[in-house]
Amino acid sequence: MKDRVRFSSKRLFLTLMLCACAVILLQNYSLGRGGGFILDVIAVFSGLALSFVFFIPSIILKKKTDADLLMLARQRTPRAAVAVSIFYAAYFAYTATFFLIPYTDMFSKKYYPEVSRCVIALLLIAACVYAATKGANVITRFGIFLFAFAMLTNLLMFGGSLTALDFSNGFRIGDADSLFGDVVYFCAPSFTAVIFACLAGQGRGFTVKQPVIALLLSGLKYSLVLFFIRYALGSYADRQEYRTFVLSRVAHFGAYAGVESFYLALATMSVFMTVSLFFCCVCRSAGMSGSLRVIVPEAVFVFLLNLLTKYNQTAEALLTNKYILLFLTFIAAVVIPVLYLFVWRKFNAEKNKHIITEP
Amino acid sequence: MPRKISILLLSLSLIFSSGCRNSRQIENAAIIENVSVTVEGGQIRYTFYRLSEGEKPWGVTVRAESFEKACKKAREMYIPNMSLAKLELLMINERLQSRIMKQDVEYISQNSFFSPIAYVTLCDGKTMRKLDAEERVQDVIEEQLILLKKNKPQVCIDYLSVFNHLERECEGFYVPLIRCDGEIRVTAKRIYADKTQKNEK
Amino acid sequence: MKYSIKEIKDRLKADFSDSADLSVREFVLKSSRGVKAAVITMEGLCDKEQLAQTALNPLLSFDFEDMEPKEISRTVLGSVIASSDVIPFDSYGELITYITSGFAVIAVDGGEKLFAVGVQGYASRSVSEPESEVVQRGSREGFVEPLRVNMSMIRRRIKSPLLVFEQLTVGSGSRTQLMLCYLHDRASPELLDKLRKRLAACDLETVLASGYLSDYLEDEGTSRLFSGVGISERPDTVCGKLTEGRIAVIADGSPAVLIMPHLFVEEFQGVDDYSNRTYYAAFIRILKYLSFLVSVFLPGLYTALAQFHPEYFPTFILKKTAQSLSETPLPVTLEVLFIAFVYEIMKEAGLRIPKSLGHAVSIVGALVIGDSAVNAGFISASTLMVVAAAAICGYVTSPLYPPIMVLRFIFIIVGGIAGLWGIVLVTAVVIISMCSKTSLGVPYMSSLSPFSLKSMRDVFIRSGWRTLSRHTIRVQKFPETEVKG
Repeated sequence: MKDRVRFSSKRLFLTLMLCACAVILLQNYSLGRGGGFILDVIAVFSGLALSFVFFIPSIILKKKTDADLLMLARQRTPRAAVAVSIFYAAYFAYTATFFLIPYTDMFSKKYYPEVSRCVIALLLIAACVYAATKGANVITRFGIFLFAFAMLTNLLMFGGSLTALDFSNGFRIGDADSLFGDVVYFCAPSFTAVIFACLAGQGRGFTVKQPVIALLLSGLKYSLVLFFIRYALGSYADRQEYRTFVLSRVAHFGAYAGVESFYLALATMSVFMTVSLFFCCVCRSAGMSGSLRVIVPEAVFVFLLNLLTKYNQTAEALLTNKYILLFLTFIAAVVIPVLYLFVWRKFNAEKNKHIITEP
Repeated sequence: MPRKISILLLSLSLIFSSGCRNSRQIENAAIIENVSVTVEGGQIRYTFYRLSEGEKPWGVTVRAESFEKACKKAREMYIPNMSLAKLELLMINERLQSRIMKQDVEYISQNSFFSPIAYVTLCDGKTMRKLDAEERVQDVIEEQLILLKKNKPQVCIDYLSVFNHLERECEGFYVPLIRCDGEIRVTAKRIYADKTQKNEK
Repeated sequence: MKYSIKEIKDRLKADFSDSADLSVREFVLKSSRGVKAAVITMEGLCDKEQLAQTALNPLLSFDFEDMEPKEISRTVLGSVIASSDVIPFDSYGELITYITSGFAVIAVDGGEKLFAVGVQGYASRSVSEPESEVVQRGSREGFVEPLRVNMSMIRRRIKSPLLVFEQLTVGSGSRTQLMLCYLHDRASPELLDKLRKRLAACDLETVLASGYLSDYLEDEGTSRLFSGVGISERPDTVCGKLTEGRIAVIADGSPAVLIMPHLFVEEFQGVDDYSNRTYYAAFIRILKYLSFLVSVFLPGLYTALAQFHPEYFPTFILKKTAQSLSETPLPVTLEVLFIAFVYEIMKEAGLRIPKSLGHAVSIVGALVIGDSAVNAGFISASTLMVVAAAAICGYVTSPLYPPIMVLRFIFIIVGGIAGLWGIVLVTAVVIISMCSKTSLGVPYMSSLSPFSLKSMRDVFIRSGWRTLSRHTIRVQKFPETEVKG
C-alpha cells in the first residue's frame, strides 16, 4: 500500500543528495596529505562523474519502462527475483554497516567516550526500523526538513570558520600520487545510484538533469568542506580524525561556539535517513513495503555485522573497505540493471513478434 | 499493549545504558577555564583555574614537565572530574616559550576534547601573580587579545593558528605577549617555529 | 399506514418510562366526527407561546366539518398550521428525534403522517466571543450550543446556494444531531464519502461533544500525537476553511466545530493574520513557529546541556547556571521534570478554580513555589526560568498544547539520559511520524513536506490579498493527496 503513492523524483534526488553528503560528514579519511586543494577538487568531481556513470543503467530503465529494477525483476524473472532480492539485502546490509561504523566510532570518540558503539548502533537501527515501516515516501518527506537543517548547519559551520581562514599556503595543486585513492573515496556516493535503481518506480516527473544537479550540489558541498578544512584548519586537520567535525568545532561567532552540536544532529539524522532508505529498498526488493517481517531480520543482520566489527579487526577492515563497496555498488547499480535492460528488450522483442504474428 | 510497554521499557533501559554513564553534570564537573604555565626554581608549574563565580580565581597547581603530564597528574591527584573542553586561555611564561610551547601545542593537537579556538599567549611573571590575586584578570586579558587581533591581524592569538604556524616552520610569526606594569598590556612577539633559532622581538 | 394516538402515547410512555418532561396534550378537533388530535412535546424544549400561536390555536379553531382523519391530516399540513417549519414524517424513530430536538409533533388520530413543527425554544447561552480564540480585529461572534444557531451563523457569512448542510445522527443512545457543512463546488466528493463512512462507523452510545468524534475521524494507522482534526469556535474561521474545500462537522450541543482535513501549518494561522499588515502577519507567524520550537525543545536542551555538554553554554551563562544548580538538592533532570510537573498541576488548578480564588492561587504559584523555592535553594533560578519560558511559549499556539506538553516531557527525559544525541534521534522519529500522518488522505505536513512553493504564500509569511486571491487553494489539490475531485 505504501508503494502506491508516487512521489516527486525531485524529492527523491534531494534525499539522495543528502545521503551522498552523509559520506563527507563521516569523513575519517585524509585526502592526499601532500596534495593541494585543486587536486582534491579534481578528485571530488572525478569521483562524482564516475558516480554518475553508475546512474546511467537505472536512468535508461526508468526512461524506458517507468519502473525500477526490482519491479522488473519481480514481473519478468520471478525465479531470479529471489536471488536479486537476497543480493540487494546483503548489499544494503554491507552499506549500512559501512556508514554505521564511522558514525558510531566518531560518536564514541568525540562525544561520549564511555558509551559502547554497539548500544548507539542498536538505538539508531531501532529508530531506522520505525522509519522504514513508514515507507520511502515518508522518508523523502523527512528529507525536506533535513535539507533545511543541513543548510542551517552548513551556514553556521562555514560562516563561523570564515575568521579562521588563512591563505598563506596558497592554492597548491599538490602531488598526484594519492589521486586514485581519493577518486575512489569520492565514488562512495555512487551507492545512491543503487537506491535510485531500487526506488525509481515510485518517483514521478523524472528528468536526467535531476541526478546531475544532485551530484553537482554534492560536489559543491564536498569542495566547500575541503576548502574550509584546508584553509581554516590547515595542518591541524591532519592531526585529527573526522575533520568535518573539527571544522564545526572551530566555527564560532564571538563568544558563541557549539556548532558541533548542530553537526552531531546533522550527521545523526543523515545516517538515520540513509539507513532507513536502505531498509526501504530491502522491503521493496522483497515486494513487502513497510513490512516488519523484512525490516527486522535485515536490521538484526546489520546490527550483528556491527557487533562483529567491534570484536574482529579483519571484519572491520573488510566492512569499511572502499574498494569492496565500490565493487559491490558496481554490480548493484550497473551489472544487474544492465542485465535487466537486456531482459526487458528481449521481452519487448517477443511481445512485438507476438503482435506481428497474431493477425 | 503489553508488547508496546515492553518495547518502551527496553528502549528506556538501552537509552539509560547509553547515556547515564557518560553524564558530566554541570554542578559537579570541574570545568577548567584557564591554564597558566610558570617556572619556579627551575621547575615548570601548571595551574588549572576552575570556572567559578567566586571573587578570586580558584586554581590547582601541579609540577610537571609537559601539559600532558600535568593534565594526568591533576586528574589523578586533585580534580578527578576535570573537563578541559571549555579551556579558553593558555598562558605561558615567556621564559618557557622555547621549552614547552611546541610540545604543549603538539599535545593539544592530538586530543579532540580541547577547543582549537582557545587563546594562547605568552606572559611575564607579574601577570601570573596578578591572575592569582585578582578577579576579572582573565576577562581583561581576553579583551586585550581581541583588541590586539583587531589592530594587528597577523598576530596568532588562538591555538589553531599558533599550531599551524609552528607546523609550517616559516621564518617567524607573532604571538601575543602580556606584560603587567601596574596595568595589563598586550604586545606582539615574534617567534620562530624552529626553537633553535633565536627569538626576536 | 394508519396510527392511533393511544398507541403512540402508550409506546412513548413505555419508552420514556413515564418521564415527567414528556407531554402528550390530547384534544378533540372541531369536527362532526369528533376526531382526536395530540401535540407531543418535551417540556422545556419548546416555546409554548409560539406553539400556541402556530399550532394549538389554529387546530382548535379550525372547523374540519365531517372530514375523514386522512383528509384532516392533509388539511392540517396545508391550511391549519401557521408555521414555515413543518416536516411531515411517518416513523417512530423520527418522532423521538424530533421531540427530543425541541420540535412539537402533531398527531391526528387515524392519520397517516405526523407533523413536526419547529417551535424550539430552550434556554441557551447567547452568542459571545470564544475565550480560546480571541482576536484583535474581526468578528466577536462565536459558536454556541444550539445547532441551528451555529448553522445560521455560517449561512449569514456565506450567502451562497452552494453551501450545503447535511444532517446526520450519531450515538445510539444520545441520538446527537450532526451537520456536515461544505461548499458543494469546492469539497471533494471523495473526501465527503470518507467522512460520512467514518461517522457512520462511529458506534458510540452517547455523543455529548464534538470532541468525542475526533478519534473516529482520524486516519487509521497514523500517529495520534498531533490531531488531524481541526477545532474552531469561530464562524469566520470555519467559513474560511470551507472556501478551501474543507468540511465542517457541527454537533448539536457543542460550540466546537470540527474541521477536516486539518494540517499542521494551520495551527500557526490566525484570523488576525488576514486582517493585519502582511509584514506584521509574517512576523507573528515566524514568532509562533519559534515559540513552538522553544516550548518543545528548550527544557530538554537545557537538561541535555547541563547534564552532558556544559561546555556548550557560553561562559557567562555557564558560570551562573553551574553556581545556581550546585546549590540545589536535585539532579538537573529531576529538577526540570519536577518544575514542569508542578507547572502542569498549577495550570490545571488555575483552569478549574473559581475565579474569585484565582488571584490567591497566582500569588501562591508565583511567590511560594517560584520565589520562595529559589530562595530556599530548593530549585535553581535558571531552571525555573527555562521551564517558565517554555510554558509561556506553549500558549502561543494553544491548540498544539497537548502534543507540546507530551513532547516537552519526553525531551526532558531523553535529554537527561541520552543528551543531545537522544534528543536528535527522538526528533527524527517524531518528524517521521508527523510526515507519515494524513488527515482524510491529505498529508498532515502538507506545504512543508510534501513541499509546495505555491502554498508557501500562506505558511511562514502571509502574502498580500492580491497575491493570495490569484490562486484558490483547494485542500484536495495539495501534493500527494490520496483523494481526487
